[in-house]
Amino acid sequence: MPVVSITGLKKRFKEQEVIKGLDFQLNEGKCIALLGANGAGKTTTLKMLAGLVKPDSGSIVYEGGEKADFRRFIGYLPQFPVFYEWMTGREFLEYAGQLAGLPKAEAKDRAKDLLELTGISEAKNRRIGKYSGGMKQRLGIAQAIIHRPRLVMLDEPVSALDPFGRREVLELLNRLKKETAILFSTHILNDAEEICDEILFLHGGELIESGTLAELRTRHQQAKIDLVFKANTAEYAEEISLLPPVSSMEVNGDSASFLVNDIEKARKIFLTEIAQRKWPLVKFEISRTSLEDVFMKVVKK
Amino acid sequence: MKQLVTLFKKEMLEMARNFKWIWVPLTFVLIAVKEPLVLYYLPQIIDSLGGLPEGAVIELPVPSAGEALAASLSQFNTLGVLIIVLITMGTIAGERKSGVTELILVKPVSYAGFVTAKWSSSMMLIWFSYFLGYFLSWYYVGILFEFIPFADFLQSFFVYGIWLTLIITIVILLNTFIKSSGAVGFISIGIIIIATLLSTSLSHLLAWSPALLSAYTNTFIIGGNFPDELLPSIIVSVIAIMFSILASIAIFKRRELA
Ligand SMILES: Nc1ncnc2c1ncn2[C@@H]1O[C@H](COP(=O)(O)OP(=O)(O)OP(=O)(O)O)[C@@H](O)[C@H]1O
Ligand SMILES: [Mg+2]
Repeated sequence: MPVVSITGLKKRFKEQEVIKGLDFQLNEGKCIALLGANGAGKTTTLKMLAGLVKPDSGSIVYEGGEKADFRRFIGYLPQFPVFYEWMTGREFLEYAGQLAGLPKAEAKDRAKDLLELTGISEAKNRRIGKYSGGMKQRLGIAQAIIHRPRLVMLDEPVSALDPFGRREVLELLNRLKKETAILFSTHILNDAEEICDEILFLHGGELIESGTLAELRTRHQQAKIDLVFKANTAEYAEEISLLPPVSSMEVNGDSASFLVNDIEKARKIFLTEIAQRKWPLVKFEISRTSLEDVFMKVVKK
Repeated sequence: MKQLVTLFKKEMLEMARNFKWIWVPLTFVLIAVKEPLVLYYLPQIIDSLGGLPEGAVIELPVPSAGEALAASLSQFNTLGVLIIVLITMGTIAGERKSGVTELILVKPVSYAGFVTAKWSSSMMLIWFSYFLGYFLSWYYVGILFEFIPFADFLQSFFVYGIWLTLIITIVILLNTFIKSSGAVGFISIGIIIIATLLSTSLSHLLAWSPALLSAYTNTFIIGGNFPDELLPSIIVSVIAIMFSILASIAIFKRRELA
């Protein structure tokens, strides 16, 4: 039984169709990353899942069924969380915990633990109005998980953080993964790769690619050969690109990359050609395209 | 129920933190007590300002105690109402605009509870301030003019309070579907002015109008009797209040919160 199943989800704002039909489901204890560029529709999708925006059509079904208040099962962190500035961090967490149904004493305990866990316990008695952006982000994560929801949805949880904070939060999410299902949005593939089992790649309101990391790699990764010549790399590259195993070519400064279909064959042909023509080869490297390359290409199209 | 208490306590705490519990009662006291004092000391004030030419005689009719207290009420009906609208116009709209509601309302919070907590906390603050102001005004009228029977004070206090309650309720209702607190304030004031103008100019047709409660209370304090139309007016007000609360909850439930 999935924690949440989404079918045919659509949303339009006036003229613009922002979400054009999403289908996916999230199973217990899994982590899915919603990956996409600015304006891809990540926030809109998460807001619909959190019940803050009503979909035009399609369904979102939570584990508990239609009748139960699904808000019990979910925790949500908006992209730009806003708090009651006049409260202290501790007060806000205790308030959020109690609203989520925890008894007062338990809310206090949880608040204390989470302030430690997210590394803001030093500031717990300060007004939130005086928190830095990163501290607010951590407080936002803490309030999202205070009632131990079965699904946590985080809208770009690490975008506002410095490299250290980013590291810490990613590690926190890694630990959290053992307790709850996570759906989080990001525009950085690296973050997604680090903690998630599955990636949904959203572009222009459509899921253009989805699956586990392994699946995506086998589907998209292509063998690649990088060449560097002593000089005039572009000229040589032009000629090499006419060879049969090359499917595409790209020149960056004095290095050239070729995507090839059959790596063994390509290696042989490349090396023989270069040797025969006595071209001044400096570097010959066989690698694979990264998922990042693949996605960049899709987005640019 | 437990959650309602939590929500209500938060409102109370907020009002304490931004000092509403101090300045709102203080303002109500000032605008209420000012009237009997000014009325009583007016001759001396004019004298001390020396604004009158030599030989000019002014005959200021000495107001009755009832007139002095009624003057306080009419201050509530202008300045008081304005303050009520100002302090409640952003109570939900402001939270929604800032975005805090995105955090709060994805928790399993009862929409009815949320609206009720907002309403009841505003009620508490305003009734307290109104009582303090009106009571002190009654007291000064007693000292400076003559004491009006306390029972009469209480009656007028509660009857006029119904009108204030209706105003609070309307502002909360507008809050549930308008996102800008400025717009909420503007529309609230508009409704109040139009209702008051219509009811006073067409008072033979609209004798039941809640907006006439202040006029009825005035008559009562000055002349001693409530008109017969008081009861329908109260009934209509109570129905309007209950209807507005239910409507607020229903609308709030259905609204997109983003
Ligand atoms: N309330 C709204 N009214 C009108 N258009 C909107 C609204 N919210 C979002 N949009 C539009 O929907 C599209 C998707 O927006 P969304 O915020 O979901 O993108 P995103 O993937 O979260 O982007 P980012 O990475 O910048 O946060 C954008 O083109 C945006 O202009
Ligand atoms: Mg976004």
